[in-house]
Amino acid sequence: MAGYVREVSRRVFAQEFRESNLTFKDGDDQYSPQYLLTPTGAKVNRLFIVGTLIEKEDIGTDSEYWRGRVSDPTGSFMIYAGQYQPEAAQALAECETPAFVAIVGKPSTYTNAEGTVFTSVRPESISIVDVDTRDLWVADTARRTLERVKDLDNMDSNVVKAKEHYNTDKDHYSSMVREALRSLKEDL
Amino acid sequence: MDKTAESIKSKFLELGVDIPLEDIVERLDKLVTKFKVPLDEARRSVITYFLKENDLDRNAFFGGQSTTPDSRSTPDVKLNGIDEGGKWVNIKAKVLQLWDSSHESVSQVGIIGDETATIKFIKWSRDTIPDVEEGKSYYFKNVVSNEWNGRFELTLNKNTVVEELDEDIEVISSPMAGAGDGQPAPMVNIADIAEDGKWVSIRAKVSQLWDNSHESISQVGLVGDSTGTIKFIKWTSADLPDLTEGNSYLFNNVVAQEWNEKFSVTLNKNSSIEELDEDIEVASSSITFAGAMVDVQSGSGLIKRCPECKRALTKGACMEHGKVDGTYDLRIKAVLDDGNTAQESILKRELAEQISGITLDDAISMAADALDQGVVLDQMRLKLLGKYFTVTGSKVDRYILVDSIEPQDGMDMEMLDELIADAEMI
Ligand SMILES: [Zn+2]
Repeated sequence: MAGYVREVSRRVFAQEFRESNLTFKDGDDQYSPQYLLTPTGAKVNRLFIVGTLIEKEDIGTDSEYWRGRVSDPTGSFMIYAGQYQPEAAQALAECETPAFVAIVGKPSTYTNAEGTVFTSVRPESISIVDVDTRDLWVADTARRTLERVKDLDNMDSNVVKAKEHYNTDKDHYSSMVREALRSLKEDL
Repeated sequence: MDKTAESIKSKFLELGVDIPLEDIVERLDKLVTKFKVPLDEARRSVITYFLKENDLDRNAFFGGQSTTPDSRSTPDVKLNGIDEGGKWVNIKAKVLQLWDSSHESVSQVGIIGDETATIKFIKWSRDTIPDVEEGKSYYFKNVVSNEWNGRFELTLNKNTVVEELDEDIEVISSPMAGAGDGQPAPMVNIADIAEDGKWVSIRAKVSQLWDNSHESISQVGLVGDSTGTIKFIKWTSADLPDLTEGNSYLFNNVVAQEWNEKFSVTLNKNSSIEELDEDIEVASSSITFAGAMVDVQSGSGLIKRCPECKRALTKGACMEHGKVDGTYDLRIKAVLDDGNTAQESILKRELAEQISGITLDDAISMAADALDQGVVLDQMRLKLLGKYFTVTGSKVDRYILVDSIEPQDGMDMEMLDELIADAEMI
């Protein structure tokens, strides 16, 4: 109503992102935004990740097409950047591994012939950050994930949809958060 | 970790490749200790690295799951019997009010009542349930109770069946204070609006009118009084006179509505508006926002301003004064994001210099060297994106005009302990 509203960058751990496979559009026309709904009910059109870039590879044939793997305490995100993400592709090309990186990007899914859905991230920006920023992100993402786990009792439409689709196990995700937080404490 | 290294070594030996154990340990250790990668991710990464080194193939595996919800038998209850969230119930009730819904995802929202109580209900657009009508009574089967800030509401869902009843359900008397029954709702301050569905009256000034593309909405914007500001929505169906920005009005019988913890007031066909002669003073409130900087928008960095009106120039021209010889300035239009809100923030020159470490003079010479103003923005993005900041300033429309900005320093141990305690309670 108040014109254009920027999509929020959701906070999701790699494990939950990997366990997500439900996408939907909000609206009917081709310009309607696409969302990935995660098991705890995060409705993701954009996400913010900070983690360790542990692998990168140019898998392009004609032009550069970079694949990166970014690890957090719970697993890893796959990152793909090509000619339509020139800034991010350049950043990946220039970046050393391992390195702490912050990524703002869009979720993307790919379904293979067996029907398995793979999630990945198309970065809008990639920047090098320090270990403090990485730790802040882990705490930040833990907090948002806990909020969603607590809200699993609500009847918000996204939560209902997520629970119906994933049969979400609260303990699975609260223990994921606990372990991520404990890893933070051990490191300090 | 040594065990992991040894297992990697033996796996490669099976493939006919002998990798020195210390090479494996070194890579593993760097990832795990210095770069905080979990051991199994580090293991995978090390394996990938040595597979690639030795031109070997690799397989990956992933997983996913899904199920359908179970069905259940549902009790018939009276509305005053709803005392916990997450319960499936059947209800016989009369639709007392339908509110206009400003959200596409909500098809109907309003109040239903029986002889014991009244309660808010929500019907989502994604569920194909026929619309209910005000004043009619229905048998709502398989609806879910939901607790929200200590109050209850009912949610219709895809398992819900709604049957119209011939009987007229008797409703508890005086369910809603001043619900358009001739009696004006109580006069309140904007800051005191805190109850969803409550009818109130306010004296306020229209501080902003926003663009509006919904046919069902005639006007939308912000109204304010000395205690705060609140969004208002005037429905086309309300058939009320148009409001003018900057004028003050008495708004009688408007409905407070809560959405995502934010309140708005809606002007409906039971509302009335009187223009006031006085000029109501609107509170300007300072707010603080903390989040990661997820974007430094175009229009940031080194810019030129019109010497007469200080507007930023676009391609050397002022929208008011045309082609002018602009003066240089620095600014940052940043998006800070806390995972729930994307907050646009504007930083003036001093603050832009402070957090980017680039002074206006630096910026001018950088641009001169590169023959491109854009290099300043590039440098700022490099320096700022992905980092956490806390800003304080005044909220104007969708922006915070920032008065102060600080990078968030390292982990607050107390907060971390609180989070862990919180996670253990679930
Ligand atoms: Zn001008």
